[in-house]
Amino acid sequence: MNYRSILVTALALGLSTTSVWSATSDNSTLEQGQYLVRAADCAACHTKEGGTPYAGGAPIATPFGTVYGTNIRPDKEYGIGDYSADEFYHVLTEGELPDGTQLYPAMPYTAYHSIARSDSDAMYAYLMSLKPLNIEAPETDLSWPFSMRWTLNFWNLMFAGESPGDAKDQSEQWQRGRYMVDVLGHCGECHTPRNALGALERDNHLQGGVIAGYEAPSLTPDELADRGWTPEDLQTFLREGMSDQGTMFSEMYTVFHHSSRYLRDEDLKAMSLYLMGENPPDARIVDAGNRAGADSPGRRHYLNVCAGCHGAQGEGVPHVAVAMEGNTTLRLDDGRNLVKVIYDGIGAQKFSGFERMQAMPGFADKLSSAEIAELVNYLRQTWGGLDATIDAAAVDELTAKNE
Amino acid sequence: MPARSLKVTINGQAQPVEDIPEELMMLDYLHEYRNLTGTRFGCGQGMCRACTVIVDKPDGSSEEVRTCITGAHYFDGKKIRTVEGHAQRDEEGHIKTLSTVQQQFLEHFSFQCSYCAPGFVNAATVLVERLQRQPIARSQLENTISEALESHICRCTGYVRYFEAVRDAVLKTPGTTKEAS
Ligand code: FES
Ligand code: FES
Repeated sequence: MNYRSILVTALALGLSTTSVWSATSDNSTLEQGQYLVRAADCAACHTKEGGTPYAGGAPIATPFGTVYGTNIRPDKEYGIGDYSADEFYHVLTEGELPDGTQLYPAMPYTAYHSIARSDSDAMYAYLMSLKPLNIEAPETDLSWPFSMRWTLNFWNLMFAGESPGDAKDQSEQWQRGRYMVDVLGHCGECHTPRNALGALERDNHLQGGVIAGYEAPSLTPDELADRGWTPEDLQTFLREGMSDQGTMFSEMYTVFHHSSRYLRDEDLKAMSLYLMGENPPDARIVDAGNRAGADSPGRRHYLNVCAGCHGAQGEGVPHVAVAMEGNTTLRLDDGRNLVKVIYDGIGAQKFSGFERMQAMPGFADKLSSAEIAELVNYLRQTWGGLDATIDAAAVDELTAKNE
Repeated sequence: MPARSLKVTINGQAQPVEDIPEELMMLDYLHEYRNLTGTRFGCGQGMCRACTVIVDKPDGSSEEVRTCITGAHYFDGKKIRTVEGHAQRDEEGHIKTLSTVQQQFLEHFSFQCSYCAPGFVNAATVLVERLQRQPIARSQLENTISEALESHICRCTGYVRYFEAVRDAVLKTPGTTKEAS
């Protein structure tokens, strides 16, 4: 019996095997599946640094301990090789494995809860078409009581499984945007504040959260516009990883590489429409001419350690260092990200095409906390139009949690 | 351009205090105001480290600082060494002896165009001085040198001879390595 007739027989007998599924999935389904898997950013958690995509092992730090993304290639021992499409859909949308094990909510099943069944099937087809790799992810290690998986049932009862309202009066593009942002993109997982039990505060949806010590800023229309964003800039930012407002760094840099750069223009448009609304508020322009303290200590620190790359007038150097003028990080109410990038620096970054940003050195050992505070206040006043509210104690507090 | 007075000690000599433009980078100050042109302008972006000088800190330690991206006034009140400051000179300013690091660079013929050499010499000097304060096991030497120098770029790719020169400079400086870890 040749392979084809095995397939035909298997199909006729109603057998569900891995090879049958992938062999019967046409290219457009696989392509669609790949697109959706990218849009859902599965790689970010299911690929360890330098590892094979989707073979698992990426550590995900949570306040309760470290969770590891598992192997989601079609390996029968450690991957999803034995899952049926039904079971895959169930895991994706309910966070429960076929054997009844409840997943930790680091897997954003609460967002994926509304994934369309056809999309789940396409994702399944794509993942099943990959080469199986027999790789086991490290054991997850959480502190008590979070180490007890049964507690998750209570967690789920309280926090999971809520579908967004149907919002029928909104346009199709808006609905698509919401699906891309809230469901597949699970943007809210980082950009929404969490309560003490690690659950998203649904009433503050997309109003900003903290991840890995950095602020994932608010994505509400007014706050985006207040930081100088237009829908077009948002699309450029997601597609290119950079825009007039600066470059992606920290966790968002990974999102760009694994996910947002692959999104189709129509989806990017839908996302920005959903985020900023049909009638987006006007982006606020900060008058940089209204420079605070031309003779301030902050200005002197800027000239000493920043101006060499970012320009004496904050104009930046194209393809080398971002401009301070219009920069979104300087315009965040919470000075956390600004303090931390100055303290820690940012590694060299690679963006679309030939675009690269050189590494920014950290100034932890070059500037004192008081000097960082003076510098941050100068930057925020001059290019952010904000008040000088950061002091040395605030810098100490933010940088002590640096580990 | 607004100016401010700058007080800096270079190669052991307090420099005349004068008004220096606030936006001037240190490299330009060294070249244009002090005629110390051994500090090289390479990338101008903090990438190649050809422009590295040494800052001597009050606690006796030393560190590298890039002068192309650092304003002259950052060095206000500081003591720095440039590549011109390593050799010993007689009263007339003629060179008597090279530093161990310089001597090893010469002996290993660690130059091609030599554009990057001042940065490498300064970095190697900072490394040797660090190892004098905190000796390492001999077995860690190669790794330590690589780590200390790897961000310096040599366009002529003379790394092997550079690293060999630095290794010998370390080994010829007493107290930098110990046998066991
Ligand atoms: S010239 Fe300063 S690092 Fe290249
Ligand atoms: S010897 Fe030419 S750049 Fe290093």
